[in-house]
Amino acid sequence: MTHRPRVALPRVFLALVVCGWLLAAPATPSGFQVMTQGARATGMGLAFTGVADDPSAIFYNPAGMGFQEHFSIMIGGSVLGRKKADFEGADPFPGDGTSGSVQKQEFVIPELYAVVPLTSELNFGLGVNSPYGLGLRWNDPEHWVGRFISQNAVIKSLDVNPVFSYKLFPELSIAAGADLRFSKVQLEQNTNLGIVDPFGGQVRDLAHVKLNSSLTSNTGWGWNVGLLFKPIPDIGVGVAYRSKINVDFDGTAVFTQRFTGNPAIDNLVAAQLPQGEHPVETSIEFPASLNMGVGIELPAGFLLALEADWTEWSSFSALNIHFPDGVAPDKDRATLWKDSWAYRVGLEKKFASGWAVRGGYYYDNTPQPEKDVGPILADNDRNVYSAGFGYNTPQWGIDVGGLYIRFKDRNVLTESTDNFFGHYSEDAWVGTASFRFSF
Amino acid sequence: MKKKTPAFAVLGLAASLLASPLSAQITEYVALGDSLTAGFQSNCLVQRNQLNSFPAVIARTLGIADFQQPLVQEVPITTPLVPPNSCLGPAIVGGAITVVPVSTMGQPLNALLPRPYDNLGLPGFNAADLTQIKHGNPAGSGKEQTAALILRNIPGFPLDGTSAVDQADILLGPASGPTLVSLWIGNNDVLGAATSGIVVDGVTLTTAADFEAAYTAIMDGLLPSTRLVGANVPDVTAIPFTSTIPPVLVDPATMQPVLIGGQPVPLLGPGDAANPCVPTPPDLGCPLPPGTLVNLPASSLLAPPLLLGIPKAAGGSGLPLPHGSIDAMGAHPGVLLYPDEVALLRSRTDEYNATIAEQIGAAGGALWDTHGFFADVAAHGYTIGGVTVTTSFVKGGIFSYDGVHPSNIGYAVVADQLIQTLNAQGPDVFPRPDVASALFTPNVSPFAPSAPASVERGGAWEYTFSTWQGVLDRFASSLGPMALPEIPRAAPPSRPGRTTRSVSRTGVDR
Repeated sequence: MTHRPRVALPRVFLALVVCGWLLAAPATPSGFQVMTQGARATGMGLAFTGVADDPSAIFYNPAGMGFQEHFSIMIGGSVLGRKKADFEGADPFPGDGTSGSVQKQEFVIPELYAVVPLTSELNFGLGVNSPYGLGLRWNDPEHWVGRFISQNAVIKSLDVNPVFSYKLFPELSIAAGADLRFSKVQLEQNTNLGIVDPFGGQVRDLAHVKLNSSLTSNTGWGWNVGLLFKPIPDIGVGVAYRSKINVDFDGTAVFTQRFTGNPAIDNLVAAQLPQGEHPVETSIEFPASLNMGVGIELPAGFLLALEADWTEWSSFSALNIHFPDGVAPDKDRATLWKDSWAYRVGLEKKFASGWAVRGGYYYDNTPQPEKDVGPILADNDRNVYSAGFGYNTPQWGIDVGGLYIRFKDRNVLTESTDNFFGHYSEDAWVGTASFRFSF
Repeated sequence: MKKKTPAFAVLGLAASLLASPLSAQITEYVALGDSLTAGFQSNCLVQRNQLNSFPAVIARTLGIADFQQPLVQEVPITTPLVPPNSCLGPAIVGGAITVVPVSTMGQPLNALLPRPYDNLGLPGFNAADLTQIKHGNPAGSGKEQTAALILRNIPGFPLDGTSAVDQADILLGPASGPTLVSLWIGNNDVLGAATSGIVVDGVTLTTAADFEAAYTAIMDGLLPSTRLVGANVPDVTAIPFTSTIPPVLVDPATMQPVLIGGQPVPLLGPGDAANPCVPTPPDLGCPLPPGTLVNLPASSLLAPPLLLGIPKAAGGSGLPLPHGSIDAMGAHPGVLLYPDEVALLRSRTDEYNATIAEQIGAAGGALWDTHGFFADVAAHGYTIGGVTVTTSFVKGGIFSYDGVHPSNIGYAVVADQLIQTLNAQGPDVFPRPDVASALFTPNVSPFAPSAPASVERGGAWEYTFSTWQGVLDRFASSLGPMALPEIPRAAPPSRPGRTTRSVSRTGVDR
């Protein structure tokens, strides 16, 4: 909280920020991680660590740059959307027969990669992308039954990831880089301020609380390394690791009164409601991840990719909100997430014309225990199906990929940190497009 | 494949057991206890609140069709003299929220039920009373009147001669299916001492040995039930009635302690045996030691015009707040619990709870640690679905307007806790009750305060002196009728102008 590194952003990235071209994503891959950072990888079920043969290698496995000999730039983006995200309540709270739904927002997240060969062994790469994001805005926020927990929860991130790769041997490339993460969190909720209407004996909405922080002023540093081993040209074995990144957030809390129409209560609330902006602090430990994959060139232009990804979500063990000036009681919440695994398989068929078609599948285990599932974030295990196609020449390429994400329904009926019980169901999709230019 | 079928069948059966645990349909539920079981709220027992008693909530949740309660009509107050068992509610008096009588108990609505009530919650009863009171009397003592209303063991009537435990057995004996009993008793063994401010062991406070004998008699007399859930005694020194007013002078405008010379100003009391008092003139009382509890009825004593318990140097009368006692003239209620008395109430409660844990455990029952639960809620509030309710008086949501009994919200939480306690013991997995409805549904009397102009002010903590009379009548009835301390009463209703003008200056004269 005391020291915040100041970073001079290259103009192009500032331009991205200003354009608002980036930002939040719904919780599509497990937790609030977003793995759709390249269209070829997306089409192949995100099994790309053992392939890593285009500039998106900077995200999936930067050692893949070592086998790329040309200056290349890839720009692209993903659109993430929900088909549905519904909630049905259960007793004791919010009660059988209650329900809610999440706004069907679409989120756009950018990606930009540049690979710059420096020597025949040493390559430099720069990636800008958004590997973590969350956006959960509930419909009808003033009546939604979970409004006292969350009406709108947002996590946005923007990573700037410079990385070097070095080809130790013709068969082996290694890479290491630094990862600067800009991040923003936002939470909106209503509150009863711990007061029950003394005239009716029932709970009223007495105030709205908005906690917000700015994307550009909250940052954290991490690092990443990768290895790609190609014992024969047709087989790649890749391992990539990203460190955890802790971001401490300084933000503002704004309290807005909700009037009940009863002057006795409204005056009581007005007398004790904090005025103006107040400082608020929190921190998020974004998890480390270890991705391990193989890519196998098969006859007839087929490429098979297999992958197992581990994410150290246990580092996201708590979400503690602190009000330094004591304007509201601190909210310490144990999240108790577990490390999670995802298993991926992808297949690509290349045609001599330059066209390619792709398909894939993965199964992603949720890191979130039932107890933590709630209106801020309701995650679950999911089956994901992918498809994609593209046209590539040595000089340029265009790829398109998509995911269809089928979440398993999630019941929260026995244990809940929020004391908020019910049934969550969600389906989502992601579309990704990338353009590559090589020189 | 055929060979594997049995294994799969076993797995499938196990899976289906896990997926939908067996939950027996309870055919008879008997709730045995005191006012907390009856659904007593805001100083009265009326249908509006009885329908939200925790046993009624449990019966609704478990789908028990014929759960009968001794429902009492709620009627407006029509007499100029407010009856002692009036329901309390909120009103604005002189711009401030004050608790006032709004309605009172009328006729029984379910008196002709040809069997005992399933809700055998008996306001005012202690543990011994559940087995010993076998004859009710509509014109007798407070407890005899309660027995007449709820046990209907009036001489000449069919249930005469039966105690509460006897009536529970009448219900349990012939039950054809699974039965459930909840037993929450012992609160009045300690509560009367706290609310009257008279802590005399063996007189207002049941001894540990007597409590154990009384509880044993209940358990010995009660027929076995399929499921049994017991609840222990919460800390009566942590309810709003005893824990709201600090023992130091508070500025009613800010509700913060007044500091003189940087120090808080202790209120004045007459001392007790452990805290002997030699007053320093001009004051006629001694500073209350830290840890003294000042009960809610002190609210109107601290307010103008009396300003009792406030040192003269701080603008008060210099007179001590009354401390409860018993002498040859009878019982004299007070508003103070000195630290030695608080310690005795707490240690005695712990002794009761050891007995309860032992006996409920020996009977194979599940035990809800009410004491631990309410201690946690008093410290941190209770948060459900992001809504926080607390034990604060009037505005906290868990307690009703008498500062002693839970509200609809409090009783719904109690029902949920008891069901969770049963589920934790297993093997049943009962559904949990709808607490959300209690949180978001208003609970207001259909009647307005009878004569708002005559309502007395309650002081900074919104509690009127006459409200206390109702609490005393109901909970200290083992000592016979108790008169309020003879203290000049607050501004008479015939001078409303004065009432209005001084209303914001309660507690301290600045």
